[in-house]
Amino acid sequence: MGYEEPVTDYDKIVENCTCAFCGSNCDDLDCLVKDNHVVAVRHACRLGASKIMEDEDQRLKVPMMRNENGELVEVEWETALDAAAELIANSVRPLFYGWSETSIEAMKPGLELTELVGAVIDNQATICHGPTVQAVQNVGYPLMTLGEVKNRADMVVYTGSNPMNAHPRHLSRYTTFPKGWFRKRGRYDRTLVTWDPKYSDTAKLSDIWIPFEENGDYEFVNAIRAVLKGKKLKKDVIAGIPTEDIYELTEKMKNTQFGALFFGLGLTHTLSKQRNIDIAIQLVQDLNKYTKWVLLPMRGHFNVNGFNIFMSYEMGFPYGVDFCRGYPRYMIGETTTIDLLNRKEADVFLVIAADPGAHFPSGANMHLVDIPVIQIDIHWGPTTELADIVLPGTFIGVETAGTSYRMDSVPLNMKKAIDPPETCREDEWIVTELLNRVKKIKEASK
Amino acid sequence: MTYIDKPSISNVIKFDELNVAKVDQLKVMLNTGTDIYQGACKKRGSTLKDEYRKVAGVAYMDPKDMAKLGVGNWDSVLVKSDWGAVVVYSAHSRDAPHEGMIFIPKGPWANVIVSNETYCCSDPTYKGIEATVEKSDKEVLLMADLMKEVYQKYTKKVKEVD
Repeated sequence: MGYEEPVTDYDKIVENCTCAFCGSNCDDLDCLVKDNHVVAVRHACRLGASKIMEDEDQRLKVPMMRNENGELVEVEWETALDAAAELIANSVRPLFYGWSETSIEAMKPGLELTELVGAVIDNQATICHGPTVQAVQNVGYPLMTLGEVKNRADMVVYTGSNPMNAHPRHLSRYTTFPKGWFRKRGRYDRTLVTWDPKYSDTAKLSDIWIPFEENGDYEFVNAIRAVLKGKKLKKDVIAGIPTEDIYELTEKMKNTQFGALFFGLGLTHTLSKQRNIDIAIQLVQDLNKYTKWVLLPMRGHFNVNGFNIFMSYEMGFPYGVDFCRGYPRYMIGETTTIDLLNRKEADVFLVIAADPGAHFPSGANMHLVDIPVIQIDIHWGPTTELADIVLPGTFIGVETAGTSYRMDSVPLNMKKAIDPPETCREDEWIVTELLNRVKKIKEASK
Repeated sequence: MTYIDKPSISNVIKFDELNVAKVDQLKVMLNTGTDIYQGACKKRGSTLKDEYRKVAGVAYMDPKDMAKLGVGNWDSVLVKSDWGAVVVYSAHSRDAPHEGMIFIPKGPWANVIVSNETYCCSDPTYKGIEATVEKSDKEVLLMADLMKEVYQKYTKKVKEVD
């Protein structure tokens, strides 16, 4: 990448926009707007900037349905909405998946629709931090806000995550580099530690890198807990790490003033799943006997946490909530999306602001071949290749205002910077329309 | 623009490395996950383009492993696991050394070979999968072609008509 001239040709600056990419929800972006297009973004990372300055070629602009040859063709909004409502109203086990890249406002009618038809509602937590939520239910949640870490933390640990790739501004805005109230010199006052089998881009920046072996996370954290409790380690090498290094690290972790542990999908996607998180949370609990330690999962989408909070508040369960019996039920491994698809249970799949085509294992996606798929999204993605009805939504945080929850559960208002394309509709409007149409069909059939 | 077409990868593979024995098939551990190039390309929406194939249809490998197989950057390799097989590009990993481990960024290509088994934990096993890698002369498919070949959702009906 060569040097690029700063963009000077713009009509106005929309200040303090909230980024709609990762769970860091940076709310200091300045969008440079010209002719109702964002021509440049200030302060955003590569990920945020690339999303906000979207690819216009692949933008979904009109509702589409498959014709008899299996090609997507443009249809009227009325036709597409009626067809989608018909499918949902006549289904036995509909599954509404997604929601993490839309606003809380759109989830509200979505939940009402779910209750009305007795569907299963689920979000991306089911394939990323689902085990984290289970572990939190098992052993607790020693949580903080990111502002506390900025002002107080003198040791920051990342494990099973690579924020330099997935949350690029996490270190520079919240945890490691900024100057805080008690950390006047910023980076120099903090120790950055990475536990990762790979020499990841975050590990390259770290003061200490602990390369435990693949699938060795549980054993390694357990060893630290044993040392914390005054036990002597019997093996010379544990999970690929010499024991004297574990003693040294434990001593360092005990002697910090405020430590923060951030963990990502490296822990939840391996075989021990939620047990990895259990032990990480228990480690933080043990460390609190000596000094202050907190932890936070590195949430991926900007509103994946919002859905979990919204559902917990409304229905008492965080994700994978089943209404088929008329009341909310939640059973991991039974009412969660991947399991429903693996068992070929769902008969209509509504996907809103998510991309199962790109992110589900093909073994699970195979069921989408046999059932109708309704997609509400902004770009033509892998899921569009499997979708029967496509409803173009708008871009939350750029074209539509909305509420989202940051990874540390702080709700933020997302500003509107430009107007959406004329033929697109807000997610909230689409879901409300579906709800009203399904209501009409249900009433007519009574 | 704020992005580049494909990740910049330095070509450090030495094919004449002395201690490397050539093999036809390599047993590796497959990890998948996000990567900044994949994330930027996917969320910008450029999934139909060649760019997405270059950032998500790629196996980042240790240079030594690549020397063993005799493949260079942007050569095709066939990755097989118990769940399927897919042709992706091979490329030198920025995080090397990690011999015996390959990384494929999440996307339609990785999906074909990861496990959909959740062990009743809602979460499929995306990491730590046993796989094999071998050289291939097939071209890596673009996203739309791959989706058509793997799922055949709308091609089946056409076949029935014939």
